[in-house]
Amino acid sequence: MRSQKLLVILLVLSLLVVLAGGCGQSKPKSYKIGLFSPTTGFAAADGTSALHGAELAVQYINDHGGINGVKVELVHYDDAAKPDQAVNVAHKLIEQDKVIAAVSGSYSGATRAASAVFQDAGVPMVAAYAVHPEITKTGDKIWRVGTLAVVEGKVGGALAVDKLGAKKIALLTIDNDFGTSLANAFKEYVTAKGAEIVFEEKYPLGEKEFRPILNRIKEANPDVVYASGYYNEAANIVRQAKEVGLNAQIIGQEGYDSPKFLELAGDAAEGVIITTDLNRDSDREITQWFIKTYKEKYNLDADMVGASTFDAVMVLAYAIEKGGTKADGIVKALGELKDFEKAATGPFYKFTPGREVMRPLGAQVVKGGAFHFFAEFDDPALITPPW
Amino acid sequence: MSLWNILLDTLTQGSIYFLIAVGLTMVYGILKILHIAHAAVYTIGAGVGLAVFKLTGSFWLALIAAMLVSGLVGVIIYRGVYFYMLDQPRIVPLITSVGLFLLIEDLLQKPYLMGPYQHAFPAQEVFPSITLPWGTIPNAQVMILTLTGVALVALYLIFTRTRLGLAWQAAAQDREMAGSVGINLNRAIALNFLLGSALAGAAGVLVGVFYNSVYATMGDVPSYKAFVVIVLGGMGSVTGTLAASFLLAFAETVLLASVGYVLPRDAIAFLVLIFVLMFRPQGLLGR
Amino acid sequence: MGYLISIATFACIWAVLALSLNILTGYAGQVSLGHAAFFGIGAYASAMLTVKAGWSFWPAFVAAILITGVVGGFLGLPSLRVRHDFLVLATMGINFVVIAIFKYVSFFGGALGIIGIKKPALFGWTLRGPWFLALAALYLVLTLWISAYLSRTWAGLALTALREDEDAAEAVGVSVPRFKIYAFAISAALAGGAGSLYAHFLGSVFPDHFAFVESIGIMSMVVFGGIGTLRGPVVGAFILKALPEYLRFVGDYRYAIYGGVLVLMMLFQPQGILGDNSWLWNKIRRRIND
Repeated sequence: MRSQKLLVILLVLSLLVVLAGGCGQSKPKSYKIGLFSPTTGFAAADGTSALHGAELAVQYINDHGGINGVKVELVHYDDAAKPDQAVNVAHKLIEQDKVIAAVSGSYSGATRAASAVFQDAGVPMVAAYAVHPEITKTGDKIWRVGTLAVVEGKVGGALAVDKLGAKKIALLTIDNDFGTSLANAFKEYVTAKGAEIVFEEKYPLGEKEFRPILNRIKEANPDVVYASGYYNEAANIVRQAKEVGLNAQIIGQEGYDSPKFLELAGDAAEGVIITTDLNRDSDREITQWFIKTYKEKYNLDADMVGASTFDAVMVLAYAIEKGGTKADGIVKALGELKDFEKAATGPFYKFTPGREVMRPLGAQVVKGGAFHFFAEFDDPALITPPW
Repeated sequence: MSLWNILLDTLTQGSIYFLIAVGLTMVYGILKILHIAHAAVYTIGAGVGLAVFKLTGSFWLALIAAMLVSGLVGVIIYRGVYFYMLDQPRIVPLITSVGLFLLIEDLLQKPYLMGPYQHAFPAQEVFPSITLPWGTIPNAQVMILTLTGVALVALYLIFTRTRLGLAWQAAAQDREMAGSVGINLNRAIALNFLLGSALAGAAGVLVGVFYNSVYATMGDVPSYKAFVVIVLGGMGSVTGTLAASFLLAFAETVLLASVGYVLPRDAIAFLVLIFVLMFRPQGLLGR
Repeated sequence: MGYLISIATFACIWAVLALSLNILTGYAGQVSLGHAAFFGIGAYASAMLTVKAGWSFWPAFVAAILITGVVGGFLGLPSLRVRHDFLVLATMGINFVVIAIFKYVSFFGGALGIIGIKKPALFGWTLRGPWFLALAALYLVLTLWISAYLSRTWAGLALTALREDEDAAEAVGVSVPRFKIYAFAISAALAGGAGSLYAHFLGSVFPDHFAFVESIGIMSMVVFGGIGTLRGPVVGAFILKALPEYLRFVGDYRYAIYGGVLVLMMLFQPQGILGDNSWLWNKIRRRIND
């Protein structure tokens, strides 16, 4: 076993030497951008959407002349949303595929573990939609285009108390990093504004049966229910809320942002308002192109995960164009980015020193079985990331 | 939360647990195999049901097709795989079952089968909602409750009134003895898998309609949760499983309706399990 | 290079996990589907001692082994009451409850996990890449040595007696309860060390990393390689841990093939690829004897 291993190592080593010798100084045929996302296992739906989004971005870039005339090539690996596989894949992308930069289309645990490898190797990585606050703190090479849950929770609070005038609020929180961060920020905002939290409960990921909890919320009689979760939990929450006769306004967030939420929840989804960064009614050219092409190519409506991954690739392509293929140049270009318009989820105003994106956030309401514009939040006090 | 709501939630949740676990307990009763792949059969049932429903628009055709295909898959799993390892240590069929579960679930996730996304199963309207003086039973719950009732009656009749049922009971007591007194064991076991797997397929359809969602990894939770039910029920006993299903559903519902999630639902179930096993190592209702 | 080292490091860690489960299941006959719980307890103990209490890696590593050993002995108590398939399900339950505690008790970081776990350092020099692999390999050798020792000595004999027939073991004067608890404690302690290495290699731990599916994976490695032997679990872990990586060329069929391989193995070589009397092992033995 050990001698075999050694043999493999030697073989690969010699192969690398040969390859390195073979590559001259000529202009590269393509710029490689790496992507890891879970296309198998329990998270396969999100991983597949992420892959779709990245593929579309590459298509868009290459249809528009590539980066300074050089085509972009996407290298994708499945990480099954597992941290050890993400670490392996990160090494593979860096060493074997020699990607210029990478995008994480995976969940927080896998993303955080892989980000350490990218940081160590000095390869820039952009997290598309992983929400854990600590991801970007790995180091100066690690960036994020997804909205921080802290920001989104605050915006959710503004939606509840400022726009909808809620006084009594119930919180139903999914018990992962996403839900926990959202709930904390939301609570802080609404209690500062004088609203009362009349009910609070967290539930495990993948829960399907909310009736006992919803019955208790009904007794607490809130104006608004702020319920975090992903589309499958969300669909059950709104369906069962209707069944038990809970008529309070339900506010969700980007976890709901999927055509599957509308499909699974059916009529019960009507009137639900969510905070998200993908505005379906936007008249921006890139957003419309993304939504239309996604539907044509994959016969599926676009979701937030796909859009975020699309944007991660787009912003990387921009940084490579501006700053060259070296990590320092890319990092510098990202740091200096201003009013980036080529993002499907709306303009990126800038990246903060903590490498988080600052951008307007929207609220969408479900009307006639589709998401539509409800409000936009542009107040810097709301949308500025805390670091 | 009112008594009525607790009762209704307990009955529906308990019915779901029972439908998923009953096939498992039947298999365990005779073969003593921890048949994790049972959950994959359940997913296949849901998938077939949805496909037929989309094609024909008929809930009943969908249910029948799901039961047929699932039953068949169950028999194939027995004759093609488990049959060859009945004399092996029990860990061998257990690992086999894990492999089967991974294999089937991963294939189901491919785009030409179920794909990675969830799908709606909008057949709730087939049933009416019923309004009683205490409250309303929504249509999806009417479906679960009536069809579980039908399954119960059918099972009771098969187990007590047919030769097959007697053969199963004999085989569960002592497989070799049953073989020596002239019971065609192979046929009995195959039929046991057929019925147990068909019930899993039916459960897949009913749960799919109830939560309006069908997807390739829907068997993940039942793959282990069903074991809690059958252990509490004494492993291999259908009546025990029935009682355990409703007890577990009652415990979960009351806890969630009063104090909420002290721990996730599954952890609560397993805590109950460990606690019970410490005092009754043969299961709550086992002999 | 880093890619292979990374795969090899994970393979070493999982080989320790498989070997430690083998002590419990292969030697003592206590089938457990909750081994990832001990893996997790070790990882969390080490992570918390270094990140929250400011310890350095080495004492935290030893402490993680000891803590997990003690907890493992305690969690082995149900095995005194419960046997066979009931024990399988009780250990499965332990796995779920332990994960839930990590997730719901904010002392353990809750759903946000523990972040910023540093790699070990020796004389101010951080062990990374090949050096971390060397550390993991060293720990694997230690585990192998302990396993070999256990299977050879009196304790090993008693454990095997336990596996074959508990009542007979009791009759010849082996204290069954004591050995069951020993088996749980030693097995857990070794897994705890693997957890510590894992946490420091990855830099962050989340409750879900130690879920029930991992327990199933570890058990599959033991059985795949050959339960009750020394070589089996190690080879099983190396093959099954690296298989999904080397199967990347089949795209999204990696896990279907993984599952299929397990089924075929159990059908045709139920004693494991290198178990006693397996086709491959017989061939190797004949080759050596010639």
